[in-house]
Amino acid sequence: MAAIPLLLAKDLRRLARSPLLLAALVVYPLLIALLVGLVVRYAGERPRVALVDRANLPQTILVGERRFDLKRLFEEASEVDLVRMSADRANRELETGRVLAVLTIPQDFSVRLRGLRASPRLVLRTSTGALGARVTEKMRALVYAINLKLQKAYIEANLGYVRLLRKGGSGKIGRSRLTVIGLERAERELQALARSSDPDVAGPARELAQFVRQVNGAVGQVGEFLRATANPIQLDTNARAGRTWVLSAQVQAYALALALAFVAVILGAAVVTAEREEQTLGRLVRGLIGLGTLVVEKIVLVALVGTLIAVALALGFGLVVEIGGVSGGQPWARVPLLLPGLALASAAFGALGVLVGALAREAGAAMLLALLVGLPVALAGVIPEGAFAFSDWLRAAVPFTHAVDLATAALYDPSPWGGVVRQAAWLLGLTLVLAGLARVAARRLLT
Amino acid sequence: MTPVLAARAVERRYGRRVALAPTDFQLERGELVVLVGPNGAGKSTLLSLLAGVLPPTGGLVESSHPPPSVGWAPQRPALYGHLSPRENVELFARLAELDDAVGSATAVLDLVGLTAEDQRAVELSVGNQQRLNLALALLGDPDVLLLDEPSASLDPKQRDRLWKLLLERRARGQTAVLATHSLEESARLASRAVMLVDGLVVREGTPAEIASAMAL
Repeated sequence: MAAIPLLLAKDLRRLARSPLLLAALVVYPLLIALLVGLVVRYAGERPRVALVDRANLPQTILVGERRFDLKRLFEEASEVDLVRMSADRANRELETGRVLAVLTIPQDFSVRLRGLRASPRLVLRTSTGALGARVTEKMRALVYAINLKLQKAYIEANLGYVRLLRKGGSGKIGRSRLTVIGLERAERELQALARSSDPDVAGPARELAQFVRQVNGAVGQVGEFLRATANPIQLDTNARAGRTWVLSAQVQAYALALALAFVAVILGAAVVTAEREEQTLGRLVRGLIGLGTLVVEKIVLVALVGTLIAVALALGFGLVVEIGGVSGGQPWARVPLLLPGLALASAAFGALGVLVGALAREAGAAMLLALLVGLPVALAGVIPEGAFAFSDWLRAAVPFTHAVDLATAALYDPSPWGGVVRQAAWLLGLTLVLAGLARVAARRLLT
Repeated sequence: MTPVLAARAVERRYGRRVALAPTDFQLERGELVVLVGPNGAGKSTLLSLLAGVLPPTGGLVESSHPPPSVGWAPQRPALYGHLSPRENVELFARLAELDDAVGSATAVLDLVGLTAEDQRAVELSVGNQQRLNLALALLGDPDVLLLDEPSASLDPKQRDRLWKLLLERRARGQTAVLATHSLEESARLASRAVMLVDGLVVREGTPAEIASAMAL
């Protein structure tokens, strides 16, 4: 075992003397983190949706007594990127996937909207699959947002009718213009009649006056009822300087795991094949060290380098969070808890890399294989739980899932120990299994 | 006399390709044997099997008791390119747990006359890399040297230095096996020559006898 520190020192010296490799090891995870950020940003981008305006919407439209800039309401929709185009072009672009959906405004849309009777309709056609479903959700959100604004106009219009009914005067209901005396004046008139000396007039007039007063009182509360039934639950939004997706805990955990997945797998494959390329493996196994010791040394090396890189990444992320004044900040106190997890994750990925290197034998083939393995290992880790029959087994079998869960637990769980210990045990187990396989495969390096 | 190293029906196959057919080979103490034969004859394979670098697919390699220390210099230098010659030699000296790693390194570097201590091995000329390769084989003054075409990339001066070194070792009763294409080298150094062709030992004898056979 005394050989391990000697070989470790040799390998670290070698890394330090390869400025390009060292730079790549530092830059690569940062690049990965940046790419993750961009992917996340893209994921949060507004889907492109064609807008076919068959109603030829006017710039503004009068709903009730309120004038709406309906065009702007659509164009400024934050949920989707609405692009005006003809029906033919919209269909073509939907077929070729350049737009994810076509939103058609039917010809009678403005008339129905102004009429305040039948609900105006929008027609949405989407592509099939997950993206189509996502667009449908976004469009529902858009229609909900516009409905909220229109709802206020409808309520105001209806309250206008109520006001007319109570106060009296001239006004329009739909397209009908009418003049009414109003409940308040009717009550006053009836009270005057109730003071009549003719009991046949005064009696019924008093009853009618009481009825009209009751009706007026009830109608007076219609406004409150309308608002309450239109919005049984109201959501007050309050935008604060919270974490954006790019700086979220989840993205931080994924960036760490992704950087480790690639760096450690590739480094593990590289360092073990380098011994064969330089022919030094022959010297080493002639009684100086065993293949098992060599495999352990390479895994320890990758764990060491991977941990340093991941810590640098975590610190860099934390600094960005601090400088950006993001609410919650970086949980610095949790970083020591993260360290052993990063080392274990690096070791697990490193063991996989050493296995890949031993199987491939030649450095070029090993690098290619490491890249080919690194990607599905990362992707297998992001398969949703229960996605298909064996998805949970697959997720459990790759270190990526456990690295993400461990980083998330270590940094952000209120009670992190359970999650950290469980995932650390998984990573340790995977490291041992992969190291065992790598030891068996390492015999190939001698031939 | 007990052989220092012996190959008993040792063979090496790569799938269906036979690199070395079942071969018997014995190396007595104090011998300096040369392996000759065309490219691909199996000389390097036999040396690797004797050195324990390559596991045999059949047969076995035996050694005397106590087992001799064996130095090995493959045809392509086996060294860490990013380390200097001294760092290379000191590292292997420490891995071999030699008592005085620094002193041993200095001794073998002096033996091969390598002084470019600040340069990385990968920056050395091919000839100097071969000298470093030989220095690593000589670490700890091993009982047996297994050298694969050791003089192939050496200039005449360095080749003479190597020959002188090998003759001195032979005079001290130390043992060596060399793979070579040079009949002159074989004639100057060897006590015995073994000729291999297509993975088979086809003839053994004195260097002169083998040279005659090769001439035919």
